[in-house]
Amino acid sequence: MTKLFNSQETMVDDMIDGFVSAFPQVKRGQIDPRVVVRSRARKDPDRKVTVLIGNGSGHEPIAMGFVGQGLLDANVVGDVFAAPSADLILDGIREVNGAAGTLLLISQHSGDVINGRAAIMLADDEKLNARALLMYDDVASAPPERRQDRRGAPGTMFIYKIVGAAAEAGLDLDGLMALGEAVRDRTVSLSAAISPGISPLTGKPMFKLPEGEIFIGMGVHGEPGAGRMPHGPVDRLVETIVDKLLQDRPIAAGGRAAVIINGMGGTTLMELYTIWNETSKALAARGITAIAPMVGSFVTTQEMGGFSISLLEPTEQMLDYWCEPSDSPAFPKVSLLTQEALS
Amino acid sequence: MTVAQQYFTRLLASITARKDELNALDAALGDGDHGTTMVRGLTKAAQAEPGLGAKAFMRASGGAAGTLFGLVLVAIERHLDSGADLAAELALAEARICDLGQVKPGDKSMIDALTPAVAALKSSGLDAAIEAARHGCEATIVLEARRGRAQYVEGKGRGHQDPGATSIVILFEVLRQTQENL
Repeated sequence: MTKLFNSQETMVDDMIDGFVSAFPQVKRGQIDPRVVVRSRARKDPDRKVTVLIGNGSGHEPIAMGFVGQGLLDANVVGDVFAAPSADLILDGIREVNGAAGTLLLISQHSGDVINGRAAIMLADDEKLNARALLMYDDVASAPPERRQDRRGAPGTMFIYKIVGAAAEAGLDLDGLMALGEAVRDRTVSLSAAISPGISPLTGKPMFKLPEGEIFIGMGVHGEPGAGRMPHGPVDRLVETIVDKLLQDRPIAAGGRAAVIINGMGGTTLMELYTIWNETSKALAARGITAIAPMVGSFVTTQEMGGFSISLLEPTEQMLDYWCEPSDSPAFPKVSLLTQEALS
Repeated sequence: MTVAQQYFTRLLASITARKDELNALDAALGDGDHGTTMVRGLTKAAQAEPGLGAKAFMRASGGAAGTLFGLVLVAIERHLDSGADLAAELALAEARICDLGQVKPGDKSMIDALTPAVAALKSSGLDAAIEAARHGCEATIVLEARRGRAQYVEGKGRGHQDPGATSIVILFEVLRQTQENL
């Protein structure tokens, strides 16, 4: 398959050039052009904790799409599907670091963890105040007793947004770490994949899936999942996923769940809105109110077909930060109306 | 050229001369690109501005191995550029590599050469460190891999010398070469 790029060598930088010129909220970094930073109205980094994340490209709009007021201070952009190197992440920390400190969010995948933690070590050597928060939420990747071994999945977006809003509100580094860990402990995600993405590097499918089957719990690069189901009406698939999520981390009847329905890139909004509706109904049938949904394709793998459902059982404070307006290129407005109707 | 720049230039030449050998060692245990990856990283390190060689190496070589070798090169570059204590810097790198890579001596990795070399360096100096690295490297031949891709190959790599440990020996040998030629 032919993709619409100039060349393999320039595809990531061509994309970043387009991105920063399309959105006034962001610009390239001054220390390192592979870092995307906020372009205006930044608070004093000696007073506000700065928050950043690194990731391989090819998953847009994550995460450079979330750089902006009330969210991330920077995103470190790696090559296609490759974790940014430790020195590049260190440059990202140096771009935004001040006396208030910096929180590096790391979505738990082997390369991201090694390079991100190495960057924190090198930042320590330079006497920069920076800490790492490991994020993991994919229930298919390890059982509940080994939660800390799980992969990062789209539920990590709860952490980006809530920690980003809390940093803007003035919470200190210790407070943000604790808040991020608390969100992590209340978040679970599970995916369903139906077709692979096409690699921008090879022009070929990234893995093979047999026709007519849905793969539950598959990772974004085709990492093995938890099971398979035949194609059929999506309500049953959603029921299965919601049940697995609630088995993993129960929410009592009468409780609430903030929801992310994330498309993987090749699944339409027409389908995603349907999946949200079925998720809301499945939760309601179990006595749980679905609130403040985020529905769309935010963590993508090219045109991969499929979606994930992420649930967060929020505290009041988490819900406030989740719904707090922000101004980044790609984070949507999360509706306050459902929450107001509840109170 | 700074001393560190001389070091990276010499190291690039030595590793390039043994690239095929390192790739062949890696082919028995992993994906067969260790020599190529080292050359790619060192090419950028040799061209880098003073003080930025190890970071250029990390950026260009990519992947977790690039980071872990990069930490050893950070230690050597700091020693050569600013006179930082070599044994202390390398001991810090060794501890960080064990932590990040979740490896320990005996797992068949670069650590099997680095750990004895750092211990010998502290007590007896650079020549002893090179000897210790060589012994540690040869000792990886009989080990079974417990980390990385090699743990999944037949026999877990037993009978093959570890390519990462081999590169560590070269890093130490070239360090002595560089100091002899100052």
